[in-house]
Amino acid sequence: MTRWKAIGGGLLAGAAIGAGAVALAGSGSESPGGAEASRAGADLPAAPRPALAIPKPEGLAREADLTRWAPLRRATAARAMPSRSGRVLARLAVRTPEGTAHPLPVLGRRADERGRLWLRVALPVLPNGTHGWVPRRAVGGYELVRHRLVVDLDELELTLLERGKPVLSAPVGIGEGRWPTPRGRFIVRNRLERYESPQYGPVAFGTSARSATLTDWPAGGFVGIHGTDQPEILPGKVSHGCIRLRNADILRLARLMPVGTPVLVR
Amino acid sequence: MSRLDLDLLDRDGALAEASDGVSRAGFLAGAATGTAGLLALAADAGAAPLRRSDAEVLNYALSLEYLQAAFYTEAERSKALSKKAAQAARTVGAVERAHVKAFRALLGRRAIARPRFDFQGVTEDSDDFLKTAVAFEDLAVAAYKGQAANIRSDSVLASAIGIHTVEARHAAWMRYLNGVQPAQSAFDEPQTRKQIDRVVEATGFLSAAPRTSARRSPRYTG
Repeated sequence: MTRWKAIGGGLLAGAAIGAGAVALAGSGSESPGGAEASRAGADLPAAPRPALAIPKPEGLAREADLTRWAPLRRATAARAMPSRSGRVLARLAVRTPEGTAHPLPVLGRRADERGRLWLRVALPVLPNGTHGWVPRRAVGGYELVRHRLVVDLDELELTLLERGKPVLSAPVGIGEGRWPTPRGRFIVRNRLERYESPQYGPVAFGTSARSATLTDWPAGGFVGIHGTDQPEILPGKVSHGCIRLRNADILRLARLMPVGTPVLVR
Repeated sequence: MSRLDLDLLDRDGALAEASDGVSRAGFLAGAATGTAGLLALAADAGAAPLRRSDAEVLNYALSLEYLQAAFYTEAERSKALSKKAAQAARTVGAVERAHVKAFRALLGRRAIARPRFDFQGVTEDSDDFLKTAVAFEDLAVAAYKGQAANIRSDSVLASAIGIHTVEARHAAWMRYLNGVQPAQSAFDEPQTRKQIDRVVEATGFLSAAPRTSARRSPRYTG
């Protein structure tokens, strides 16, 4: 018999102690002390019922549509390699030009020769699509997003997906030919509201996409997703690169889309 | 060894995993079905209003369960751990999430909100993960022990003891994986809430929500 089987047998025997003890006490063949102990055990009240209903432990659900981002915790240099000697690609500020946290989409991870952890992140710089490495300790806790935004420049349509399923579609205005809306993968960086700029509608989202033509635009030429005071010209190629929605649509989007949502412009 | 023997002596499936390669999470899921059903019935049948002081203790326990659940879940998602550490994260994480669910169900509207955490990379390195896991599990064990005498309801106490022993198993498992003696002393000291809070605060793992919105005129390209 293995050691574990022996313990198992012991547990089985233990389960029968109550009944066995009563029988032994009645037989008179045990010592007086043993019988006394058995009687004392028989008088004990039943164990109380637990108040908590502990559910079955469950593994994590399928997470194919889960993406991660992390806010920058301190200003840092993004490098071409996961190393302090890597070439600097960009210097990142803790805040966006709008004063909000600076979110970085996390794409990968690697330890350097000294065991320091680095994260591969998408950078909000030109050319769009630039990736770089930042020290793990420069960013805060991970935030998770189950949404994805797809902007189809040919169909002039925006679709928001949650866990892979479309939850909102709307016609959009995009950049004119000379100020094209950039294609690529980006992130929703922040959300602005309650401002006095009717041309942006009631809500505006900032993205990490940057105009390759309007590089001298205030605050760096970031592409936004926002409402409008000219709904009659949508859909169409009507903007300086931003993605314009009718105000009812941007309000619906604002109810559904969290900051940190990845954006695919195709 | 037969499945029956294992069921009797190996409540959390560690031996099942070792002996026949059945995934620990899968085994747990199967073994726990009956128990969970019984507990649910018991809770429904014996439901009594929760005392304010017991709710406070439960919320305190919930805060630690949130911490542990978030820690193991992030570790599992990181996909950066060694096989053994990842397996532990997966199994213990599922249990801690079950604890959170149960506490929230019992507390209802009185349940505290889920805090935010920044684990600063310790979920992404096997050595750091295991060291932190040992600390968290020991902390939970000491915390449950420290609150036992404050619980007024027998049924709440029964639940707390049930979870306390599970946390102790986790502590032993993490210690074993970390190369630390699972049972070093003959007596475990309880810790007060103040002591526990001090340790949790010192980790720096509690974090504020990042500011993602502002009232400011956009300067996007328009």
